[in-house]
Amino acid sequence: MIYKKDANFPYPVLTNTSTSYEEPSFLLDVSLEENTNDYRFLINYEVSSPFIKKLIATGDAQAILIIQSKDNKFYKLDPNQTAIEVPKKRVSLNKRTSIQLHIQSNREIHFGENQDLTSFYDAFKSEIIVPNNALLGYSNIVVFEGSIQNPLVLFEKKLDEQLTSDIRIELGVETIIIHYRKEDYQFTGVRSSQAFNNPYIYAGLRTALQRFIHEYSEQGEEYVDLTQITQPENLLDFKLYQLMTKKMVQEVSVDNIDEVISLISDKIIEKYAGAVKELIHNGD
Amino acid sequence: MEIRLLKKGYKNNEQFYQDFLEDKVNSNEEYFTNDIITIPDAPDFPIYMGRGSEEEKKQAFQQAFEVIASSYIQTDRDLHLEEIFWHSLLVTKKRDYILENYPVVKTDMKQFENIVIKKFDWENYIYKCVLAAEYIEDLIEDPEEKKHYYQLVLENLDIYNYIIKYGIFRNAEFLVKILTIIDELKISNIMKEKIKDRPDLGKDERYGRRVIFELNKKYPVVMSPLLDVESLKQEVLQALSLYYDELNLKSRVPV
Repeated sequence: MIYKKDANFPYPVLTNTSTSYEEPSFLLDVSLEENTNDYRFLINYEVSSPFIKKLIATGDAQAILIIQSKDNKFYKLDPNQTAIEVPKKRVSLNKRTSIQLHIQSNREIHFGENQDLTSFYDAFKSEIIVPNNALLGYSNIVVFEGSIQNPLVLFEKKLDEQLTSDIRIELGVETIIIHYRKEDYQFTGVRSSQAFNNPYIYAGLRTALQRFIHEYSEQGEEYVDLTQITQPENLLDFKLYQLMTKKMVQEVSVDNIDEVISLISDKIIEKYAGAVKELIHNGD
Repeated sequence: MEIRLLKKGYKNNEQFYQDFLEDKVNSNEEYFTNDIITIPDAPDFPIYMGRGSEEEKKQAFQQAFEVIASSYIQTDRDLHLEEIFWHSLLVTKKRDYILENYPVVKTDMKQFENIVIKKFDWENYIYKCVLAAEYIEDLIEDPEEKKHYYQLVLENLDIYNYIIKYGIFRNAEFLVKILTIIDELKISNIMKEKIKDRPDLGKDERYGRRVIFELNKKYPVVMSPLLDVESLKQEVLQALSLYYDELNLKSRVPV
């Protein structure tokens, strides 16, 4: 369970508003990456108390990450662990999700050696003994409000009857523009029209990534190491860069371009195939 | 299979109900958003266990557990824990199955709302089955053991409902540990029993619910969802002894 309010405990607990600790702070920061199947939560926390830090380092206490969305999930973290991966089939972030870090005792803890408490405890802290499996501290709450970036915002559709080809892909200032010569080619009005446009989306992504590789690879090379380049200034390239790094892509090259597309595009070909199958099946 | 998602406004909607009966929902664009979701396979399964004999209910649950475990919980939670997904699936793809298996829907709009487009929370039978399937499939490996745990859920539905009703204990490890303990101590019957001679507790209090209530009160000084089975067992017994005659408990429970 996540603590939203200050709760009363029969012993000192480290929080950001604790009155038991001198200069208390327990700051949690969580950032999120995702690929087709998983979310990865990157965890960064800072505990003000050397006493608690030492308990974590020695294993006498443990950090536990709590993710509360549709239900509660607990993840025990090793002392140096900074990330956890959770499959999308077991966590959904499309509604408000709260995350908090707890510190829990792994054995009986004697507070006599705790130098971080306020002087109020000086006289009797040697008598404070906290049992195993008890809460020693809890952090601020990190909230995700839901709705992750959709790759389709990368695209614009335009109709141009003067076109000399049936479709044309243009790399715009911050979008990939797909020009259609006939409205029919967009499948508007047909059920699953979005899925039927996916091959065009695929072609658009491929064109944009090819330019990306050309622009940002080292002279004579055909790959881009995304961890080595600075963020692109070009808006479309910046969107692609963000999309790829969020989906944990480290390198994009002429050789893995199709693989990268499948990582950043949320199953577009699968959806297309599904729509075609359905159409054949229903015969309309 | 592609499923078109329903637009809000289909609940408490007499016309929608009539169109469902007359098979006119799918052809009416007005009922749908532009969103379409795709799942590989969406087989039939019992969606309502509020009717029939105890044996029939159990069989329906077991069938639902099986189908949901093999075909639905592999999808993202964005689908299989979303009300709109289930309502859209049932209305657009399962009409024949529903009319055949729950004919009462044909004559009573209330039954339609209660069986087909019921709110997706702990009282919804699909919700109950989805969470049980997720929790058991993720934590139990052996196929025979899985069957055993599904059986335990069915034998302890009252406490299962209570656990998934309250967010704090809606957690896979906790459910499995509690079922393990009930099974080991053979206290399923006690946990289900109504508490008599405690008019202060409310009308339908049962020992199992009070045990969860006591664990809740102690949290987080004792973080029961994270305890190992043995420590949790002691907590359960201690909580139970607050309500259940201790001498009687000792004679029934071999600890």
